[in-house]
Amino acid sequence: MSGPAVLELEAIRVAGRRAPRLDGVTLRLAAGERVALIGPSGAGKSTMLGVANGLISPEQGTVRWRGEPPARAGSGRRRRQQARIGTLWQDLRLIDELSVQQNINAARLASWGWPRALLNLLLPMDSAACAQLLSRLDLDPALLSQPVSALSGGQRQRVALARLLRQEPLLLLADEPLASLDPRLADELLTLLLLEAKAPRALLLSLHRPDLLSDFDRVVGLRAGRIVFDAPPGAIDPSMLQALYAGATAAPAGAA
Amino acid sequence: MRLATPLWVLAPALVLVPVFGLLPGLSHGGGWELIGQFAWAAVTPSLDPLVLGSALQGLGVTVGIALLGWAASLVLGLVLGLLSSRTVWRTLSGNAWPAEVIRRLLALPRAIHELLWGLLLLALLGLKPAVAIAAIAIPYGALVARMTSDLLDALPTRQLEALRAAGAGPIGALLTALGPPLMPQVISYGGYRLECALRSATLLGVFGLGGLGAELRLTLQSLNFRELWSGLWLLLAVMLSLEGLLGALRQRWAMPQRFVLSQGGVGRRGREMVLAGVALVPLLVGVARVLEVDPLALVQPHPLPPAPPVDWAGVAALPWPSLITNTLVLTLTAAALAVGGAPLLLLAVRPWGWGRVLVQLLWALGRLWPPPLTALLLLFVVQPGVLTGALALAFHNLGILGRLLLEASEAGGDRAGRTPAEQALEASGSGARLALLYGRYSSVASSYLAYGAYRADVILRESVVVGLVGATGLGSQLLEALSSFAWDQIAALVLAYAGLTLLGEDLSDRIRQRLLAQQHTSSSATSAIPGSPAADALPA
Repeated sequence: MSGPAVLELEAIRVAGRRAPRLDGVTLRLAAGERVALIGPSGAGKSTMLGVANGLISPEQGTVRWRGEPPARAGSGRRRRQQARIGTLWQDLRLIDELSVQQNINAARLASWGWPRALLNLLLPMDSAACAQLLSRLDLDPALLSQPVSALSGGQRQRVALARLLRQEPLLLLADEPLASLDPRLADELLTLLLLEAKAPRALLLSLHRPDLLSDFDRVVGLRAGRIVFDAPPGAIDPSMLQALYAGATAAPAGAA
Repeated sequence: MRLATPLWVLAPALVLVPVFGLLPGLSHGGGWELIGQFAWAAVTPSLDPLVLGSALQGLGVTVGIALLGWAASLVLGLVLGLLSSRTVWRTLSGNAWPAEVIRRLLALPRAIHELLWGLLLLALLGLKPAVAIAAIAIPYGALVARMTSDLLDALPTRQLEALRAAGAGPIGALLTALGPPLMPQVISYGGYRLECALRSATLLGVFGLGGLGAELRLTLQSLNFRELWSGLWLLLAVMLSLEGLLGALRQRWAMPQRFVLSQGGVGRRGREMVLAGVALVPLLVGVARVLEVDPLALVQPHPLPPAPPVDWAGVAALPWPSLITNTLVLTLTAAALAVGGAPLLLLAVRPWGWGRVLVQLLWALGRLWPPPLTALLLLFVVQPGVLTGALALAFHNLGILGRLLLEASEAGGDRAGRTPAEQALEASGSGARLALLYGRYSSVASSYLAYGAYRADVILRESVVVGLVGATGLGSQLLEALSSFAWDQIAALVLAYAGLTLLGEDLSDRIRQRLLAQQHTSSSATSAIPGSPAADALPA
């Protein structure tokens, strides 16, 4: 792929309790690229996404976001860097006690100062932008004032996605976003994500569903902290998948 | 406009505005030099063997009093708790009303602060080690009794009914069905009471009932700050080791954490627990021997000075409205400062790793430092009055609330205590403080405030202890009456205090129920303190 690099991981190593969680992982993600990350449970998918969003600092190797190394943790420059990286968490990490609108606006905390952050806890802020996001994701804008805890699972997923988009990130990371969804919802969410991930954005998404790989630009197979293959979906054949998951306790859904 | 949950936590801190507005007018500035000396003495405590020796001896007495008072309160509390349990009475006699009567009667000893018990018993019996122990055992016993019966009556009774239906005797059935789920909760709570007992014993010492407290007060009043700090650091070491030990035991025995009593289940390592309990007995006997405690001394009154003639007109002439108003203002100010101050401080130092350690040290000092001593210290620079008393009480309770907030909000967090939602916010570039506010305070808000409501009620009871800085309402009036043996006034004031405390207890119960109901309607998926009504009635 040509395009400017959004994320570069080089020879990343993250120590684990027994074996390293990541061991010499190198990956380059260019603008516009949509990459699927597959592998058995415990292969290091979540760790890799953690390194990508800066939550985990690797012991060895270099991370570069849009060509820049991560700034010192806690510094203003680091925060500006991280503001361009959006993560859709497996457990969503919504704030149950707040309303949908407050949750979506929480994505702006990086650029908002204290006054706006506090005001967001008192009054509905930026309602038009939030409502527009909800309609884009096929949600009723009337939900904005609801507490997140009152929503269904599928609605929560979309609110999390709305928060992600409100952040206007250039790098979209998603940690098994489809795991807890029924097939129809999973399809819908994936379609939405792939739609949003157009240049200059890039998407790195981990999943367990080999049947959904066809729309990605590349598929990265991860096993025991190492990259086993990195190829376009057309080049992935069943034997590669079998080798990837061989001996793993959790068989991938629809892998047969 | 609706206040979102994270702001609830900070809202009480708004009381800082009037406090800071009033303080300059009240300060007299003369004693800043003394405060400076006091602070400097913290890092240059006296290492004179004589000073250390006498501090250690005082500390020994304080710890002994705490241990014995605590043990007596547990025994007393368990017995009374069983006697005031509806389930127990229903099983044994078919009627639950005696439980209700006993429960009501126990409200009075509970409503009177241990210091008041101490001073009353001191006036009646004279200075004996047993007095301080009884002063702790009586109110604590009544508290433990309430907890035990609340827990007991909140337990599901299906197993009990099944056993009874199968022909089991009432006592056997009670023990089998309710003993296992009750024990870990009682032990966890009981352990926590020991920490409280150590603080109470120190406080009683300040008022001359034995132990290190007296030396702390004397060294403070004679401005021997270096000697004061020698005792203080020793006390801090003991308190932190005790808290650490109890925390480790709770973890090892898989006990519910202090404020998470809803999990239920039986503690692991039952044999170890029994052994530890058995090992306590000779320790307690030994301590009682060394302190020369004579329980019989409690029934031997000592000659009282001639009491002044009873003067009910004089009692009625006391400025009741202002006494009660001052007491309430003192309580609410202190409670708001403590409840709002803890999360505010944590927020202020969040970006720095060492800030958290510093705040924890400050809180530990607050917990162990008896409020009357803080009040005396404040008198160096501030005039006596309600605000001075409130600041002293607030500092003490800030230590207790802060520790709770930290424990509760860091449960389920990563190594830096960050909850998942907080991590998510930081990963999207939000600053550490805003991530803490949004991502962590949201989930603890209602249970923290529920505890805060409970704490306000404790502070009301506690307000007597800062009475010695004058003009603080019922407390100072009561201390004055005690020192002049005006029994008519003492009786009236104690009753007024108890009545106020019971009203406050009722009010704070209602607030707590509402807050917790709020928490239950919002999903509890991320809440750090799963609250059951029984659980949240527990801590003290």
